[in-house]
Amino acid sequence: MKQFKKLVVPYIIWSAVFVVFPLVLIFLYAVTTGGNSLVNIKFTWDSFQKMAEPIYVSVFLRSLKLGVITTIICLGLGYPLAYMISKCREQVQVILILFITIPMWINTLLRTYAWISILQDNGLLNSLLEWLGFGKLHFMYTDVAVVMGLVCDLLPFMIIPIHTVLTKMDHSLIEAAQDLGADKWQVFGKVIFKMSIPGVLNGVTMVFLLAISAFVIPKLLGGAQYFLIGNLIEDQFLNVGNWNFGSAISIILALAILLIINLMRKVDSDGAGGDEE
Amino acid sequence: MKRKWIGAAVLIMLCTGVLLGAAGCGGKDKPTLRIFNSGEYIEKSLLTKFEKKYDCKIVYETYDSNESMYTKLVSGSEYDILVPSDYMIERLIKEDYLQKIDWDKISNKDALIPALMDKEYEQGEKYSAYSVPYFWGSVGILYDTEVVDEEDLEQGWEILRNKKYAGNIYMYDSERDALMIALKSLGYSMNTENKEELDEAYEWLEKQRNTMDPVYVGDDVIDNMISGNKAMAVVYSGDGALIIADNDKLDFFEPKQGTNLWYDGIVITKYCEETELAHKFLNFLLEEDNALLNDEEIGYSSSVQSVFETMRDENYKGIDAYVPRTDYEKDEVFRYQKPDIKSYCADLWTKVKAQ
Repeated sequence: MKQFKKLVVPYIIWSAVFVVFPLVLIFLYAVTTGGNSLVNIKFTWDSFQKMAEPIYVSVFLRSLKLGVITTIICLGLGYPLAYMISKCREQVQVILILFITIPMWINTLLRTYAWISILQDNGLLNSLLEWLGFGKLHFMYTDVAVVMGLVCDLLPFMIIPIHTVLTKMDHSLIEAAQDLGADKWQVFGKVIFKMSIPGVLNGVTMVFLLAISAFVIPKLLGGAQYFLIGNLIEDQFLNVGNWNFGSAISIILALAILLIINLMRKVDSDGAGGDEE
Repeated sequence: MKRKWIGAAVLIMLCTGVLLGAAGCGGKDKPTLRIFNSGEYIEKSLLTKFEKKYDCKIVYETYDSNESMYTKLVSGSEYDILVPSDYMIERLIKEDYLQKIDWDKISNKDALIPALMDKEYEQGEKYSAYSVPYFWGSVGILYDTEVVDEEDLEQGWEILRNKKYAGNIYMYDSERDALMIALKSLGYSMNTENKEELDEAYEWLEKQRNTMDPVYVGDDVIDNMISGNKAMAVVYSGDGALIIADNDKLDFFEPKQGTNLWYDGIVITKYCEETELAHKFLNFLLEEDNALLNDEEIGYSSSVQSVFETMRDENYKGIDAYVPRTDYEKDEVFRYQKPDIKSYCADLWTKVKAQ
């Protein structure tokens, strides 16, 4: 056994080079000034102070809001779907889960462009509305378009963990609850849902994290004025060239995400999920 | 002992990985040109044609703005050929990223429009010392003739703040062009280094954003305007010509307060080792057939005299967006900005978008 331990070494080197080192660099950029060259750097908290300006705080809050909305909709759509899938025969389940993941085989960018041609003012959806006798509606460059794009993109991340938990559930517990006189809703609320909470939390965490750092979908479906934290970071790196500020925002975002994951874990271990372990 | 052995094994594995990777990239038998161009800014078939003709390989990448191209260059990416705009050419010259063009190697140089060859960014300093003119044009407003009143055009850039058209406007998502519109509208130079004037421009844009609900777009403006989604859009003249050719309800005008006259050139970077081949490529693009094919795809005003005339009199007959305004005293060319002014402007534009 002892020799096998040494096989860890390559992975340690790997993660040092490709995970730790970039993180250190980002941190270094965040707390210094002097542009992109590391030659004449000076230590400063300026970049973090800049983030406290109301305009950037509002960008941050807007991203959080969008993340929450997307997560709620994904949960609302994803849970019933996962539940229904888990009720099917096993062979059918495999096919249905395959259908859920098929969109993920296609590049996000392509799917987003497909949404554009559907939602455009003269796009498919509007043509359909016109044909049915309704007037045209504006979809592109609105909240609706952005949320729709995000939900469509992230829904699998909600369904799959919930489905996994639901299929692995111990059915004798459900039967026991029924034997003891619980009605349909009580069985669902007190047994099934409670036991699926770990999956729900996994799904919520994943969708939320991906939603608050999204930038391509909001930019394409919401226009460049739909400015989120991800767009701010992209802008600082690619257009403005202020890597110091960009790094500072990235660090703040990373810290916020860390905090949220910890909160989720706490909920998980306090709640029903704790019973399992 | 054993630890050392494993350590050595890991080291060897990593090294061979690196070496193999390096060999994989470096293993070339054909000369290679690395071209970094703005998106949708060349007829792609010309690249394959050039590769075949000169038995070479072209590595082609695109960027979405001069700024992002510059950032990539500064962060260490090496290219042989770039296609920057006027102010960026000036910046790259001043920061020593370019090599001079050897005009003796470009036999088609007489085909170029003389005025473009003589364009100066400073007294006695010509762009053409370091760049071959590619396309040129202006910035103006593309409008739907069925929705926009001819009379309102008199307002120039202020039409973009005319509440009649609220929610019906595309702005171009470009820091310098957005500020240019505001500065020109306020009667200032678009190359101002006065922060108070820039602050006023910021307020102009902020107010526009709050009252007009504009959508900031990039190249997607082309599809959107062809479909006639909104009444007005700020566009480059060449995009205007291209769009009008597909949607004749639209027309283009250059506001009276003056606009940005731009010039894009092809430059060779100092990293380029295949200078012979690079010059051949520049010469190749100026050949009449190729330049015409290219312009039919791009739609901007060509730097090749004969192509410009053909397009003006045949392909784009009656579309005045193809013929940018010249010799108007209020029009300007973008100049290089000092780093502090540059980052000041970048911050202002970020703030407008982040509202």
